[in-house]
Amino acid sequence: MSAAAEQTVLDRAELDPAKAPSFPVAALPVLRNVQLRKNVAHAIDVIQAKRARLVAEKTDWQALRAAAAAIKDHVLENLGAYLEQFEERCTAAGGTVHWAVDAADARKIILEILREEKADEVIKIKTMTSAEIQLNPFLEAAGVRTYETDLAEIILQLGEGEPSHIVVPALHVNRSQVREIFARRMGIENLSDEPKALTAAARNYLRQKFLLVPTAISGANFLIAETGGVVVVESEGNGRMCLTLPRTMITLAGIEKVLPRFQDLEVMLQLLARSATGERMNPYTSLWTGVTPGDGPQKFHVVLLDNGRSSILARKKERQTLRCIRCAACMNTCPVYRQTGGHAYGSVYPGPIGAILTPQLEQLRHAQSLPFASSLCGACYEVCPVKINIPEILIDLRAQVTDQERKTAGKFFDPMYVAMRAANLIFSRAWLFHAAQKMGRIGSRFLTRKDGWMHSLPSVGAKWTLTRDLRGLPRQTFHEWWAARERGAK
Amino acid sequence: MNAVASSREQVLGRIRAALRGGQNSAATAEQAAEAYVGLARDYTMRGELTVRACQERFVERLREYDAEVTECAPEELGSTIAALLTASGRRIFVAPPGLPAEWLAAGFEWKIDQDLPAKEIEKADGVVTACFCGVADSGTIVLHHSATEGRRVITLLPDWHLCIVRASQVVETLPEYFDRCQVSGIRGQVSGFMDHGSGIRDEVAGSLPSLVTWISGPSATADIEMTRIKGVHGPRFLNVVLVRDGEQGPGNRE
Repeated sequence: MSAAAEQTVLDRAELDPAKAPSFPVAALPVLRNVQLRKNVAHAIDVIQAKRARLVAEKTDWQALRAAAAAIKDHVLENLGAYLEQFEERCTAAGGTVHWAVDAADARKIILEILREEKADEVIKIKTMTSAEIQLNPFLEAAGVRTYETDLAEIILQLGEGEPSHIVVPALHVNRSQVREIFARRMGIENLSDEPKALTAAARNYLRQKFLLVPTAISGANFLIAETGGVVVVESEGNGRMCLTLPRTMITLAGIEKVLPRFQDLEVMLQLLARSATGERMNPYTSLWTGVTPGDGPQKFHVVLLDNGRSSILARKKERQTLRCIRCAACMNTCPVYRQTGGHAYGSVYPGPIGAILTPQLEQLRHAQSLPFASSLCGACYEVCPVKINIPEILIDLRAQVTDQERKTAGKFFDPMYVAMRAANLIFSRAWLFHAAQKMGRIGSRFLTRKDGWMHSLPSVGAKWTLTRDLRGLPRQTFHEWWAARERGAK
Repeated sequence: MNAVASSREQVLGRIRAALRGGQNSAATAEQAAEAYVGLARDYTMRGELTVRACQERFVERLREYDAEVTECAPEELGSTIAALLTASGRRIFVAPPGLPAEWLAAGFEWKIDQDLPAKEIEKADGVVTACFCGVADSGTIVLHHSATEGRRVITLLPDWHLCIVRASQVVETLPEYFDRCQVSGIRGQVSGFMDHGSGIRDEVAGSLPSLVTWISGPSATADIEMTRIKGVHGPRFLNVVLVRDGEQGPGNRE
């Protein structure tokens, strides 16, 4: 067997919402991939169990959630003022603040900084925002090599795969796949598939990069308006390496990441690690403010990214989407995500939060199938550390998508919308309703089997009976039975 | 002037347009500050444990995340450090410039960090530092990177970190740590370590720290099949000495 035939090819997934297939289409291949579903289920079972134990030991968990939601709502209501304050303080501390309207704007700003630095390679801390603006392919095309430094991101970068989770992006890849990718791309013979050996391989692979590459890119978990500080939460120390060793640091942050005061971290840090990885605190959390002489990068840039976020602010109900602190607790608990994994969502933000965030960031031009990728069971709302009522927003977005579709030319004669208009007419007039019941009883007689169920309906009805049966209409309606009973009593 | 609005104006303009008509959107920074003060904070601010129980929890939670903990009396600190360095089997250690001379145990090679290049720090076997605070609830050590805690890089590149925590620096809850920041400012508290009260304050009291690292156990990952592996890029070994200095933190009960 040739070496090429053994190569692990991670499933290629399209995570650009503008190009991705709809959720039901994208979910099908995953549902048939038993190994991938096993990997996903194992990973989220482990995180869920740890999270549940640590949340149970916090007696003030609900008060923390309420405080976090209140702080975030307050920020969003005063977003402009807090961003300007952050800009002023960060600048005073020696940082440079840039503003980006959209993904293209942000990519351009970052490339300009890199050109100024004459950088032909950068080291990166895991950032979903960078994936959102598809920064890596853009930089590679412009001749800048990017080195992801988070273990999961290295696995995906070397294996040419895509993230399927926002906290543990490679949870769909198992150890033997990682072993094969590392052995081939790092040129290591006789590499064991023990996670310990694989982690050591990543450490060696990156050590020299950390010491030599002078430019780094990060995301941000929080921006502090009061001080101009930036916070990055991580586990491995790759973040600290990137924040400490290079000459120049570029941080890309969504505009919703700002917190009013330093002290607000006492709420957020208690919630984040417990929700995300089931730890009381993640191993390393770093805060820095502009530039500190003699310690860390002496040039610091922050790029504040809008890219659709300001449009979410306008709708009062949907605004809470921007409270999200990216802990992934919602996807870990979601019965749909558990079956499909992250790639089916066609976005770097999968799971319940992705189902509401992606269509809104796209301003409903794409990803319209995502609000329907939910059973509305409410588990995501229950675990959310900032109390985002995801089911409520899902329903609201469903209505918006339906309105959009209904008004599309060519949908007027769509059997479903014809049926809906007919139903609207019938349900609002009692005489028509009773007549329709009689007609329906006659019509459905031919479709109802001996067991009293309809197994297959024609036309649009087939969409229903494809996956479940429909109970046949009873011989007598409740109204008829009631009237007969009254007559009998007399 | 510019016919096209700058990205900054566009983003801020969109935000203002989106919030316009919002009932609660405060117009000015002053109004925002007022609304901020009124936000509900019903979570636990102060711990309820006794001083001793709080220290025990700190030790227990540090150990739970694979840190090694040794307790000692203040007069035993020098010998405790020497014993730990010997037991580690390591020889070359980095120390921040403000580390008390009594902590630099004899018989080892000490590299005092006066802007040591990263390559030099990388070659060291370990590092010894003080800290700003310990948080019992999460087994966290907080560094503010003062002269006794050192630049961020020295507690990152060496594979072995020994951190000295005074019992009086240990608080029970995370909010208690934030209270201490408001009270003590950045460097005052720690630089007074060996010389209570007369420590050099190189920052105005009450100013917030500009650099903070919260450390909870050694570097770790669970990225491969959720198996927790100790030591990826940061130090693989975290050692803590808890010095029973008999002082009480302001947030602790008797």
